[in-house]
Amino acid sequence: MPPVVRLTHVEKTYKAEAIEVAALRGIDLEISPNRFSMLIGASGSGKTTLLNLIGCIDTPTRGTVEVAGQQIGTLSDDALAEFRARNIGFIFQNFSLVPVLSAYENVEYPLLLVGMPAAERRDRTLAMLEAVGLAKQAKQRPNELSGGQRQRVAIARALVKGPQIVLADEPTANLDSATGAAIIDLMRRVQAESNTTFIFATHDPHLMSHADQIVTIRDGMLIDPTPGAAA
Amino acid sequence: MSTILKVAFRNILRNRRRSFMTGSAVAAGVTAMLLFGGFANYIFTSLETRSVQQTGHLTVFRSGYFLFGAGNAAAYGIDGYRSLVEAIRLDRELGPMINVVTPTQSLLGIAGNFADGNDASKTFLGIGVIASDRDRMRQWDEFKTGLITPPDPRFSDKEESHGLVGLGLARILLLCRPLALNCPAPPEQVARKSAGPVNADIADLAGREAGGVAAKADGLPQIDLLAATAGGAPNVVNLTVAGADPQGVKELDDNYVEMPLGLAQQLVYGRAEHKVTGIVLQLNRSEDMPAARARLAQLFKERGADLEVRDFSELNPFYGQVRGMFSAIFLFISLVMGMIVLFAVVNTMTMNVMERTSEIGTIRAMGVKRGGIRWQFIAEGALIGAIGASAGTVFAILVAALVNHGGLSWVPPGNANPVPLSVYVANRPGLILRAWTILVAVSVVAALLPANRAARLSVVDALRHV
Amino acid sequence: MFKTVLIAALLALGSSALAQDAQEIVAAADRVRNPGEPFRTTITFTEYVGGVERDHDTLVVFSKQDPATRQFRNLVQYAEPARDAGKSVLLDGQSLWFFDPASKSSVRISAQQRLVGQAAIGDVLTVNMAVDYAATLLGTETIQDAGRQPRPCWHLDLVHANDQAVYNRIELWVEQGTFHPIKGKFYSDSGRVLKSIYYRNFQEQLGSVRPVEAVIIDAVDTSLATAVSYKDWRAQEIPDNWFQRDYLPRLQIK
Repeated sequence: MPPVVRLTHVEKTYKAEAIEVAALRGIDLEISPNRFSMLIGASGSGKTTLLNLIGCIDTPTRGTVEVAGQQIGTLSDDALAEFRARNIGFIFQNFSLVPVLSAYENVEYPLLLVGMPAAERRDRTLAMLEAVGLAKQAKQRPNELSGGQRQRVAIARALVKGPQIVLADEPTANLDSATGAAIIDLMRRVQAESNTTFIFATHDPHLMSHADQIVTIRDGMLIDPTPGAAA
Repeated sequence: MSTILKVAFRNILRNRRRSFMTGSAVAAGVTAMLLFGGFANYIFTSLETRSVQQTGHLTVFRSGYFLFGAGNAAAYGIDGYRSLVEAIRLDRELGPMINVVTPTQSLLGIAGNFADGNDASKTFLGIGVIASDRDRMRQWDEFKTGLITPPDPRFSDKEESHGLVGLGLARILLLCRPLALNCPAPPEQVARKSAGPVNADIADLAGREAGGVAAKADGLPQIDLLAATAGGAPNVVNLTVAGADPQGVKELDDNYVEMPLGLAQQLVYGRAEHKVTGIVLQLNRSEDMPAARARLAQLFKERGADLEVRDFSELNPFYGQVRGMFSAIFLFISLVMGMIVLFAVVNTMTMNVMERTSEIGTIRAMGVKRGGIRWQFIAEGALIGAIGASAGTVFAILVAALVNHGGLSWVPPGNANPVPLSVYVANRPGLILRAWTILVAVSVVAALLPANRAARLSVVDALRHV
Repeated sequence: MFKTVLIAALLALGSSALAQDAQEIVAAADRVRNPGEPFRTTITFTEYVGGVERDHDTLVVFSKQDPATRQFRNLVQYAEPARDAGKSVLLDGQSLWFFDPASKSSVRISAQQRLVGQAAIGDVLTVNMAVDYAATLLGTETIQDAGRQPRPCWHLDLVHANDQAVYNRIELWVEQGTFHPIKGKFYSDSGRVLKSIYYRNFQEQLGSVRPVEAVIIDAVDTSLATAVSYKDWRAQEIPDNWFQRDYLPRLQIK
């Protein structure tokens, strides 16, 4: 199967007040579809930058990034946004739910962006809320939910459209182990249903134990540059 | 679209105090514009009503009279004016538009009070009118201002030599006591009569010629009006002064005489053919003025008459000047309010964008385009503007209602008497729409800068923002 | 002269059946007032208010009748008081021009400006009754003259005969036999009396008996009266070019 993500000689350099910082120095990486891939690295290693590139919210300084068969360097900003809306789900470190929308509306949001008809949106949103165990909290705003509940909403939001790729930065960080396990099960289910590739940055050993592929990054370069081996 | 508005609305409620302050700035701006605009509207309407009541909509003159006739009214008489008036009245196009069509005669001369040992004289500016027509003109009230005056019993068609004068002229001609008016006493008269012996012969001869016009039974004072006729001969008529009214403008007040048309014609034309200097038309509706003017021009051409038409704004430049002044002030107020609203909304929206930076990053990552972000913030600015403007409109209407029913009054410049003070807001939908739209537009424009900045944020940087 | 004698003779016949020609009476009265030949005279105006003397002016008048129009042309220069000395006025038919040596400009006096003041008095004095008015004889009447002496007079009604006539109507009393004008009343277009004039003090001047004094009473402002006295009558040949507006600056009276 062709890799769902392919990075070739990717470099990313930032300019911070006339000083150039090289975040990634030549990455070659392939990620196979339908896998749990984990990204491990200390802060400042370029882990977040790599995630950003894979998530199509940033473009490389050099090299090519190909996601789901699409060369993302050639796309315009609007086309990139469109691509993200269709194909990528994000689970962020600081939840970043839209505070003025209810749990239901937050989860529904990505479906609006792809123009899904109303009835189908309703079904999927309710199903996903049910799946994360927040059916009763549907109408509540994020500020009325606990940290763990917010995290679950974020996860539901990322998964609701069954995207090709889900990128997550410490998705299980604020969850107790029971919930965490339930979430992992949910992700596996979604993967089975929608052929979703999960790419995590995490320190959670329990999550890591599910990894099909582990990629280590240090100082902007991959340590074990072996392409994802079949599990 | 509805999502954008829903989200915009909820975002407004996110920081109630800030949104309230901003909305209040917009509301205050709209209120100020509407209240002043409503006042200006009232001024314009009252002024137009007064002008049309006094000088009609259009006046027909001999060509050149308006620019050159002031010193020589007699030379600009309109020939055959009676048939012209009838032609205008019966014209198929003009007739239905017209409320009153009436001839007038302007004149100037010397007015003198030489009765009872008095010795006062003054140049005067006179107008000869048909009293019943004038009374009808005073009833005109197309805009329902209520500023109509009842027919004047002192000046009617019945009395052919009764007239009215300005209060200043009455004062100068020493008519105050006979008319039972409240005037300050004249200063110590510089002795016109020099001290000295009386020449018996002269006094005797003068005495034999005295005893001119008999005093009327009604006790009203009489004055002599001297003028040169169109033929250049001296002429004099007697006017019974039935009353004196303040004219509002001192120059007019000291010179004004109003008399029956026949008397004015007798004085100005004497033995020659009696003409008039102007034919006044008062229409039913002001908006018919251009059509009436065009039809009159046609009529003149058909008759081969050398006539011109002037409207009331040309005859009362004051009208145009007042309109111009109020319009300029309204513009100034709009600009100032617009500035205030602009700054308030820019400030608020900039703060909103800054506080929601990471949120912007999130939804951009989720696939919202730059345009979507921009529209979201524009919608928020527009919504604050719309809500504030609507609140301001309601408030202005309430204040206007209070003022209109509060029984306030004032004396407009150029007027002699106080009139009720009103503010025309609720019945001026055009004004409301204009003020509302302008300030909402300003809000939208104000939101553009922060919205653009939000749209241009890099996703990565925004996400990194706390 | 001869005509005067003839009419007097007819009168002496006492024939009241003979119709007196009203216009001829007026013409004779006019000749009593004005010499037929060009002449100059010095006039003094004295203004009275309520019978008390207030002001007086002295001026020299040159008068010549235009044979074509029979209108009198009058050229006037003020001699006294000092403040008015040197000012000139030209009355040519109906136009009145005023020249002020101080500003060296001549202006036309409009009809409006001739309503009151000396210009109005001038109009009364220079009225040309025979030419500008059509006379009707109303009858005979004995009236009191300026000195309250009874005079038997012809009572004439003069109506304006052309557009130059300043007054709409004049009532004139002319002494029978002598053709001396005794009294006149001048009416406006509206029918009111504007001014009354009494002629008095008849003396032999320039070949005829003429009134050397007149009193004009304002009928509108009844406290005003003006006494006019003529002296120093001289026949004098006056060139026609004097009676032009452009000549006014050059007029010098000795």
